[in-house]
Amino acid sequence: MQEKANSTILEVVQLTKVFCDFWRRPKVRAVDGLNLSVRRGEIFGLLGPNGSGKSTTIKLLLGLLHPTEGSIRLMEGRPGDVAVHRRIGYLPEVSHLYRYLTPRETLLFYGRLFDLSARERRARTDQLLEMTGLTAAADRAVGEFSKGMARRLGLAQALLNAPELLILDEPTSGLDPMGCRQVKEMLRALADQGTTILLTSHLLADVEHICDRVVIMYNGKPRAAGNLRDLLATPDRMTLDLPVLDAATTRRLLQTIRETCDCEAELSRPSMNLEEFFVRVVREATNGASAAPEAATPRMAAFLEK
Amino acid sequence: MFRLRQAVALAGLTALEALRQPVCLLLILVSSTLTALLPFLILHRFGEDGKLVRDSAFALHAVFGVFVAGYAATTALSRELESGTALVVLSKPVSRDCFFLSKFVGVVGVVGVFSLCAGLTTLLAERVAERFVNRDGVAGFVTDGQTGALLIAVMVAACVVGAVVNYKRQRPFGSVTTTALLGGLLLCVVLASCFDRTGQWAPFATRLDWRLVPVSVLITLGLVVMSSLAMTLSTVVGMVPTLASCSAVFALGMMSDYLFGLHATESLWAGLLYSAVPNWQHFWVCDQLNAGGSITGGYMGLAALYALVYASALLCLGTVLFRQKDV
Ligand SMILES: Nc1ncnc2c1ncn2[C@@H]1O[C@H](COP(=O)(O)OP(=O)(O)OP(=O)(O)O)[C@@H](O)[C@H]1O
Ligand SMILES: [Mg+2]
Repeated sequence: MQEKANSTILEVVQLTKVFCDFWRRPKVRAVDGLNLSVRRGEIFGLLGPNGSGKSTTIKLLLGLLHPTEGSIRLMEGRPGDVAVHRRIGYLPEVSHLYRYLTPRETLLFYGRLFDLSARERRARTDQLLEMTGLTAAADRAVGEFSKGMARRLGLAQALLNAPELLILDEPTSGLDPMGCRQVKEMLRALADQGTTILLTSHLLADVEHICDRVVIMYNGKPRAAGNLRDLLATPDRMTLDLPVLDAATTRRLLQTIRETCDCEAELSRPSMNLEEFFVRVVREATNGASAAPEAATPRMAAFLEK
Repeated sequence: MFRLRQAVALAGLTALEALRQPVCLLLILVSSTLTALLPFLILHRFGEDGKLVRDSAFALHAVFGVFVAGYAATTALSRELESGTALVVLSKPVSRDCFFLSKFVGVVGVVGVFSLCAGLTTLLAERVAERFVNRDGVAGFVTDGQTGALLIAVMVAACVVGAVVNYKRQRPFGSVTTTALLGGLLLCVVLASCFDRTGQWAPFATRLDWRLVPVSVLITLGLVVMSSLAMTLSTVVGMVPTLASCSAVFALGMMSDYLFGLHATESLWAGLLYSAVPNWQHFWVCDQLNAGGSITGGYMGLAALYALVYASALLCLGTVLFRQKDV
């Protein structure tokens, strides 16, 4: 079991992609000698500024683009294998939905591509629509959707087959802070159940809370890689977390610390970040001040629970 | 079995998406309405009405058909590649071959719906057209105004049904109107074959010129070849170049006999081009009818074989190109 948990689900060696123009002349080197390995059950972040080759890498992993050089091993198979794609969920950078279908029709259609039985298709569709908060809009044409709504439907579509590996290209782009928070909570919950998640983002605040490991790309090349906690740790500092004390006690405490360890100690009051504040305000507004903050978090679709 | 169900789902969606597009409906409606109006536009040509109406209706069928086929194929492939929906579908357990070929089947479905509308309208318009009748005390040129009015009414009614269903149920106007139009035309054909042109009851199947059906079918076969060409081009270039190339090949293929056929025996190049460019003349057999004959089953079979071979060759090329494509 432990061995399985630590095994690699995705291995990329010296991956290179050069885009050519119509006459086959090289134009852009979008990915350049990328090495990656993603372990089962972790959340892996592919970070980098605009145009650094994140989306290109993901399309290579899915067999949508053909690599110029290098190799990819994905779940004991190769990108583009039908058997491999049965176990993958993919959310593209922009949701790319059929404009004239409704969300329900969209999900039922993708369900048919996975060969789910009619009953299973309907059940999963209903659960996912509820989970992504689209039940009320289930019968409107997707073409009229706002960016965030399309994003939610894109996410629902990626989860339809309860994938082992979920590949998300900027999952939180276009979502409101509540949506962002919900997605992050959902991803964490999925990872805890054993789903492997590979995501890209340049919204670092989003990634920071959920990723286990990251690679930072720039100009198609990996520049830093490793465990997020190790990368961000400042080895020569530590913080002490306390309830608010009165002024006299505080002064005495600081005094003691300075005397015993002969170093500078400082005290500050941590503040909430804007996202936490926003989420609290909205949740209070929807539930009444006394309700528990969890009340606004939608329930995970039953078929995704393991 | 699973592959088959996938293909059905993909082809169905392709057809549905195309039929829900306003452009497709516009092409279907304009060609049907023009065909329906032909008997009233072409008047008093000394009994030649039937022939003129028929020829013009088939020409409308072919020309609008080329646009329907080109448009449906490009929305099915170029547009999907540009808009990115193909990205999502190909990330599902769908092989590229299955995707490409299912899209083609969907496009053929759209062409089929268009051809059915065009064919039925042609059948009815020919019946409406003025003809000399000498029977039961009636002697003179008769235009079947009732069927004509019914035909126009069907066009209007289809739009009204589409609008009402869209208003009440929020269903897409395009596909509902097309379905209503098809249903209305079928009803019209049934009614028209129960009464003769003077409005008297007559045995079924004697009152319409059924020889027109094989001609429509042949044009449809030509359109299927056109669809396969448009699909294959779509794997390489975008929508506008595809449509332009299709129109060019259509024009070349119509003149193939004159441009290349005459020199095919003398020049190797002319011979090669003569066999490479699809010859639409094989699918254009109106003159046969005008000479009073009808289209034989044997000819139909040969034309179908020609279309099959041509479309298969193009689709094989398209499949190979699509496999190598960066989506
Ligand atoms: N189809 C294509 N043809 C040519 N060049 C491309 C193509 N797709 C991407 N590129 C180029 O490859 C490079 C990497 O693009 P990519 O979309 O992978 O960046 P990204 O890291 O996802 O950026 P962003 O954060 O903006 O999404 C860019 O320079 C881009 O212009
Ligand atoms: Mg990107």
